[in-house]
Amino acid sequence: MIGLIQSVVLVSVLSAGLLLARMLAPYIANVYSYESRGRQDRLFLPIETAIYRLCGIKQDRVMEWKEYFTAMIVLNGLMALISFIVLIFQNSLPLDPQGFPGVRWDLALNTAMSISSNTNLQHYAGENTLSYLSQMVAIQFLQFTSAATGLAVAIAVIRGFAGKARGKQGLGNFYVDFVRSLTRILLPLSFVAALVFVYLGVPQSLNGYTPVTTIQGAQQLIKIGPVASLVSIMQLGTNGGGYYGANSAYPFQNPSQASDLLEMILMLLIPTAMPFVYGEMLGKKSRKEGISILVAAYALFMVDLAIALYPSTAIGPGMEVRFGGFAPVFWTVTTTAVTTGSVNAALSALNPLVIVSAFMGMLIQATPGGIGVGLVYMLMYVLITVFIVGLMSGRTPEYLGMKIGVRDIKLAVFGFLIHPFIVLVPTFMAYATRATSAIGLGTGSISFTEVLYEFTSAAANNGSDFLGSAANTVFFNVSTAIVMWTGRFVPIAVMLAIAGSMYSRDRGPTNGAGLKTDSLTFALVLFATILIVVVLTFFPFLALGPLLEFLRGHVNGF
Amino acid sequence: MDPETRGQGEMEDEERWQLSTVLRDSVLRLNPVRLISNPVMFVVELTFFIVAVMATFPGAFYPVAHASEQTFYAEVAFLLFLTVWFSTLSDALAEAQAGNTAKSLRKLESTVMAKKIVAGQKGKGGTAAETVVLTPSTELCKGDIVIIEKNDVVPTDAEVIEGIAMIDESLLTGESAAVRKASGDTLIGGSKVVSDVLKARITVNPEESFINQMIKLVESSKRPKTPNEQALTIMLIGLTAIFTIIVLSLLGLSIELGLGVDLSVLIALYVCLLPTTIGALLPAIGISGISRLYARKIVAKSGRAIETAGDVDTIMLDKTGTITVGNRRAVQFIPFEGHTERELAEASFLASWGDDTPEGRSIIDLAYQMGFLPHEVRSLSGLSYYEFSAVSRTSGTHMSEGSQSFHPKSGKILEQRGRPKRKFLDAEKPDLKIDDTDIIKGAPDAMKAGMNSIPAEFDSITNSVSSAGDTAIAVARNREALGIIRLKDVLKTGMRERINALKSMSIKPIMITGDHPVTAKSIAREVGIDDFVPQAKPEDKYRKVIEERDQHRIVAMIGDGSNDAPALAIADVGLAMNSGTAAAKEAANMVDLESDPSKIIDAVMVGKQLLMTRGAVTTFSIANDVAKYFAIVPVMFATIPALHALNILNLGVHTAVLSALIFNAIVIPLLIPLAMRGVSFRPASAMSLFLKNAVTYGIGGVFIPFAGIKLIDIALGLIIGR
Repeated sequence: MIGLIQSVVLVSVLSAGLLLARMLAPYIANVYSYESRGRQDRLFLPIETAIYRLCGIKQDRVMEWKEYFTAMIVLNGLMALISFIVLIFQNSLPLDPQGFPGVRWDLALNTAMSISSNTNLQHYAGENTLSYLSQMVAIQFLQFTSAATGLAVAIAVIRGFAGKARGKQGLGNFYVDFVRSLTRILLPLSFVAALVFVYLGVPQSLNGYTPVTTIQGAQQLIKIGPVASLVSIMQLGTNGGGYYGANSAYPFQNPSQASDLLEMILMLLIPTAMPFVYGEMLGKKSRKEGISILVAAYALFMVDLAIALYPSTAIGPGMEVRFGGFAPVFWTVTTTAVTTGSVNAALSALNPLVIVSAFMGMLIQATPGGIGVGLVYMLMYVLITVFIVGLMSGRTPEYLGMKIGVRDIKLAVFGFLIHPFIVLVPTFMAYATRATSAIGLGTGSISFTEVLYEFTSAAANNGSDFLGSAANTVFFNVSTAIVMWTGRFVPIAVMLAIAGSMYSRDRGPTNGAGLKTDSLTFALVLFATILIVVVLTFFPFLALGPLLEFLRGHVNGF
Repeated sequence: MDPETRGQGEMEDEERWQLSTVLRDSVLRLNPVRLISNPVMFVVELTFFIVAVMATFPGAFYPVAHASEQTFYAEVAFLLFLTVWFSTLSDALAEAQAGNTAKSLRKLESTVMAKKIVAGQKGKGGTAAETVVLTPSTELCKGDIVIIEKNDVVPTDAEVIEGIAMIDESLLTGESAAVRKASGDTLIGGSKVVSDVLKARITVNPEESFINQMIKLVESSKRPKTPNEQALTIMLIGLTAIFTIIVLSLLGLSIELGLGVDLSVLIALYVCLLPTTIGALLPAIGISGISRLYARKIVAKSGRAIETAGDVDTIMLDKTGTITVGNRRAVQFIPFEGHTERELAEASFLASWGDDTPEGRSIIDLAYQMGFLPHEVRSLSGLSYYEFSAVSRTSGTHMSEGSQSFHPKSGKILEQRGRPKRKFLDAEKPDLKIDDTDIIKGAPDAMKAGMNSIPAEFDSITNSVSSAGDTAIAVARNREALGIIRLKDVLKTGMRERINALKSMSIKPIMITGDHPVTAKSIAREVGIDDFVPQAKPEDKYRKVIEERDQHRIVAMIGDGSNDAPALAIADVGLAMNSGTAAAKEAANMVDLESDPSKIIDAVMVGKQLLMTRGAVTTFSIANDVAKYFAIVPVMFATIPALHALNILNLGVHTAVLSALIFNAIVIPLLIPLAMRGVSFRPASAMSLFLKNAVTYGIGGVFIPFAGIKLIDIALGLIIGR
């Protein structure tokens, strides 16, 4: 349970996030609109036109969903490849003042696929492994592109759902959406945020680590680098991969309560804005469709918070004294709810119920979920919910006036099925191949929680983990790499395919003939369906892991 | 033997015979090859085989089975078997119900010998002689000509080409009065000629008649799944796949982590989580929709048509016969200045004497009911009538002196209804002498021409009547205008409520009428319809269907004539009247045997009910999982006693599993009546229907199993003392 001040902090962070998101949403919707964007264009269009010309992008080309997906996967593959090469050869490349050696192939592979899939699972400690160039090119650059990819995909899916009546541009053009995400949203916002972080004391430097002698006379290496710029995009883009191994528990990455709160608001910002953007892009009459989604997402978020805050939030070992006991709990719930995966305390320091709550965020992936993809997941749940319960209104299920057909359900259920598959099968494999015992993990519920968390986090493209550099083995590097890409791109493909077919579909009258999906009732039903169909599915596994630890009375059992 | 008791005995026999058939059928359906079309139940059956083997050779399953648990395995296997059997039982029951429908349909279709006319050799006079050949009805083809005499059964659907006869269609429609059929009318196979002789052309090939189509639909076990059923099946397969992954992972992890899970318990969890309830009842729900529709004497040609009926956004209703009883009725006499109501009413009575139309009869009825019976009734002679003609647009009666005996056409009605008493007083003893008198009634503008003088209020009264949407008929005696009769369209009883019900479900009714816009508007307003097409020609109906469909609305319509066929064919739901032409019936996807056009609304209701039932059982099935998790998961890991804290129902280790399984199985037969009958509902908006069902089957679905499982657990504890 929490006290008054903590409640005030909680409420103000959430309302600040909601308020800023609401203010940002019309701008985001406008960025991707195909009508005149006025003043915005005067500033950005020349830069973008130069980029299009440089890369030979035909910006008027309308893409089918397959083409959109192909463009996206090829571009991301290319980015991952660049990242992979930079990591392997970082010792032969410039900007390596500490003389770090090249990264081993499996770790490089894992890192490249992790950052490019917006996961940022880190099996390394950045400050001891990566050169400045690697931090900037292999990590930070991809944090921008993966976030831009997420946004582009969400916009394409929204266009499909909105249909041809709302725009003649099909799902759009991936390259254009991608470039606009970068130039008009991510770069400006993270630039401002980086400046604020610098002001709050986060370092931004390329001058190498500084050795100092402490007051007690001991030698210490002050590990500074281009941190502020990375922190801003890692939170804003719900990436979560920190400059330092300890992530935002490291003072240079998160120096004060103020920076702590700001980072939380940053990671909530765009995911919270997306439902508003959705409503905005569906058109005036359907604006409330976005609200009902947001209500369901935040209701689930509140359940997460309630579970996590149920036990006391006293400071335990492994927590940052600067933040106290409450901030890490709030942070952990938030960072999993938006699948960012940054941490400001060791997960093992937290009460098992907080870990249960973290699992819930990662299993649902839409509370409100990662940048762009959170909304995409939510739409998948909406389709499944409408299909299951919609019949009870006496009509065959329809969403936005469109009948949900056999193909939609086939695809949505497939996308839905992927998640348990890529979480549970690798978890079993880890034990079956003895990859767990190789890194000293036993068969108890603590170890089980850690392994399950590893794959859940990878599948949800979250990136927080218990194992960290302990999991730097070939098995974990390769297996999580596969899980991360599958968990990222298969659901995206599925939803693009659905959106692609919805785009040209006929829409019936939406005025109250069937189930009203823009109502509070629907938000509640969506909320309940997600709890039953998504979370309860994993109930036996949670019962074997964190829940069991809680029942055994461990306060920070990990 | 008294025919009635014999009938009863037969029925009982039939039922007994049915019960054993149902049981046998339900067992036959357990065959895994047949079950494969129901993937959920197929999987349950597989698990039954696994547990059955476990019960026999527990040793083979080490470490997930133990010899000491053999009895428990047998119990679990039995419950799994029961689950599957309940499912096949519900299928068999629904099929049997549908079988009854098919049987009663088949009675109509039974083979009769038809008298087919075959052109013979050229006769002496050079004309082809016709010979009659007795042919079984099943061998008649489209285009064959048959002769149907008194007491013959119409062999199959046909069109009358010669003669007029009375036909008994009671077998099909339940309407006992015989129907008159003349050239151009449609005969339905199975009806019976009760008088006269007809010559008719067969309109369908034997396998094409809609009754045959219906029988096929009902009987075929390989009934094609409707789109919604297909999607739902995929959803159920998806859920099954998810739970399969979960259970296999649990099994693997249990072995790896040494959690001591028993395979049978794991399988119990698996089967409880599977959407068995909806999986078991899905086929039954679909079949019962067809049966329920047939109970309302509507024959659907496909399951898909019923589903679509539930989705209808727009219903096109013909005014005449659907919204109104079909005929205008006189409701008021409005006399002109200088004339009394009695004078007008009696004149109207006489003017309508020879008018055998429903309107004419209604005028006589109204006058009679108001007590205005003209004294001339008693003694009229040389009565002659002016027939209505399209040119004069008037009709009337000419009276002159004559004998007392007469038999007016319409007078029969009064006599038949048994109200022969005069209502006028003796003091009014009429003067029996009658001069030549002309009493004419007709359309006001047509009447104006022949008047000696036109009263000042003629136009104002006429206009006020017609602007109210009613029809004005002017009446004149010897060229002197007496007044106006107000004729009104009469709504069918309950029509306003039904239209309101439609509107509350967000279905837009559109009225189609040949009337003048003002009249149409008045009727539409009276019944509560906002959209109507006045002065509609048959092609307007087609155009309106297209128009609505262009707005992506789902359209239902009714039709009977051949010119309705194109519209019936493009409408999403087309309900043809059984009395209609063969072309209409062929184009439609439903046929109403009673030929009551307002029953299109029933079709919509049945469609909605079908969809709701399916949704309710699905939701219930999925919501049930919550309780089952809490029943089984806490007790399934033998090596982790700490998890018992989650055992909020406080169930025993074994009884938890058995109770959950029993609940899971027993819920299927308990819901069979619901599946067959459909969820009860009153017309309301989609959202309020949804809310009601969501509360009952969603929230109820979460909590009922908690109570059910706990009760079964207590009962088990009492019975077997575990």
